Amino acid sequence: MNMKRRLLMTVMAAAMAGALPSLAAAADTIAIITPSHDNPFFKAEADGAAAKAKELGYEVMVLVHDDDANKQSELFDSAIAAGVKAIILDNAGADASVAAVQKAKDAGIPSFLIDREITATGVAVSQIVSNNYQGAQLGAEEFVKLMGETGEYAELIGKESDTNAGIRSKGYHDVIDQYPDLKMVASQTANWSQTEAYTVMESMLQANPGIKGVISGNDTMAMGAWAALEAAGRTDVIVVGFDGSNDVRDSIAKGGIKATVLQPAYAQAQMAVMQADTFIKTGSTGVDEKQLMDCVLINADNAAKLETFALSE
Amino acid sequence: MTRLPLVALALLAAMGLPACKIVKTPFPGEGGAIVAGEAGDDARIAALLDETLDATLLPLIREKAVALADLRSALAGGLDAAGATYGNRGAGEGAAWNFAVKGAGKVIAANLESRARKAELDTDGDGKADVTLQLGPVIKGSSLRDAVALFNFGDFRDQIEFAKLGRVINDRVSAGLKLPESDLIGQTLNFTGAVTLTKASDPLLVTAIEVTP
Repeated sequence: MNMKRRLLMTVMAAAMAGALPSLAAAADTIAIITPSHDNPFFKAEADGAAAKAKELGYEVMVLVHDDDANKQSELFDSAIAAGVKAIILDNAGADASVAAVQKAKDAGIPSFLIDREITATGVAVSQIVSNNYQGAQLGAEEFVKLMGETGEYAELIGKESDTNAGIRSKGYHDVIDQYPDLKMVASQTANWSQTEAYTVMESMLQANPGIKGVISGNDTMAMGAWAALEAAGRTDVIVVGFDGSNDVRDSIAKGGIKATVLQPAYAQAQMAVMQADTFIKTGSTGVDEKQLMDCVLINADNAAKLETFALSE
Repeated sequence: MTRLPLVALALLAAMGLPACKIVKTPFPGEGGAIVAGEAGDDARIAALLDETLDATLLPLIREKAVALADLRSALAGGLDAAGATYGNRGAGEGAAWNFAVKGAGKVIAANLESRARKAELDTDGDGKADVTLQLGPVIKGSSLRDAVALFNFGDFRDQIEFAKLGRVINDRVSAGLKLPESDLIGQTLNFTGAVTLTKASDPLLVTAIEVTP
């Protein structure tokens, strides 16, 4: 509740600043624009970026685009009007976001992208990309091992409009399809949603009682699938997720879901802010625009070290 | 109201920026034409590797390969130091270090039944396996792609194209890998390959480009 209210106020503040640019004296503010904080992953990103920005002496303007490119474009207008020094962005579409980032660049405001990449280079200053493909390969390798390289399985796919849904699915199949004895009997989107995954899993189980494993495009869907499997008394089914959420960590600890893949959201957002700070002060980040950040496999061996999308040593 | 022309301008600017470096006129069926975007990935990567795999990448890995014993001593001084001396870093801060390596060891265990065949070698003579050789056809990771500074993430459209490159390198190399005919266990093997480390204590999982008795 509190968070939502705060968000709303920030958005309103931004809108007002947009309407009255002359009042926007916002010296040294960094805008942080991400998908909805309903998904704890994006909240961790925004929190990580905001914490680092404040530590470096900046004000922050935290905004969410809800994976809507039009809304994202409006938020960019607000940030530009408010005269922010930099924009940290987890974008709303690889193609659709190019224009928004270009718009900021034209206004002299550098953008630093996290998590997802865009299809153009030379527009953003940094693109710190979560290597979802590599992460999916890691998850799939673990899945294949747990399955003993054989058996029937189902796949839960994320929201189609999100680039990462497709990338993860491709990464999974890149590995799994090399094992001819692993047979996919069902594949369906559950739109990143826990409740939807529950329903989808129920019907998948009914149609394919022989299912031995479920590979899921993210952790919230893995949680929904696991709940459905538990309800059906099928806790023998191997479930692997993606994101490294605390929920799945706890499930792994209890012997439920078997594995997930961590994207270091918090650290990545902090890195973007540090690069923004260096760029603001020196005119250069000193590193390549496109940077690929590897994901880490989480299973029973290291789950205890995971907390809010960060893995302790 | 000034927004519309601005957006149009930004769009124009965006369209002027090519998402791919190699754009040829697509004439399906005509030799040499590779379509832009994801549809052309396979053909583009095949063409790139026809040119660079045997001619550049594999010779570079052989040339840069550090003896395993030297890599171990360097790692004792920390991964970053070892990496700076012998390794190549993936794109971005905090990325893994990759090393071209060579060595020899006695096969302690082997799994040639799995689709991801492996041999475990004792390379320091203590009777315990300390290196795992990946022998394909399923290969984990992108050690070969990243072992030397030849392919740069920024030169590719996105992580998908870059990942496909890694996969095709793995496929081609493991398909060309010749293993000794007889039972591997107890044999001493010489190998050249590549390994990726995220910390100095990581187990050594070497993707082999050559294995000889």
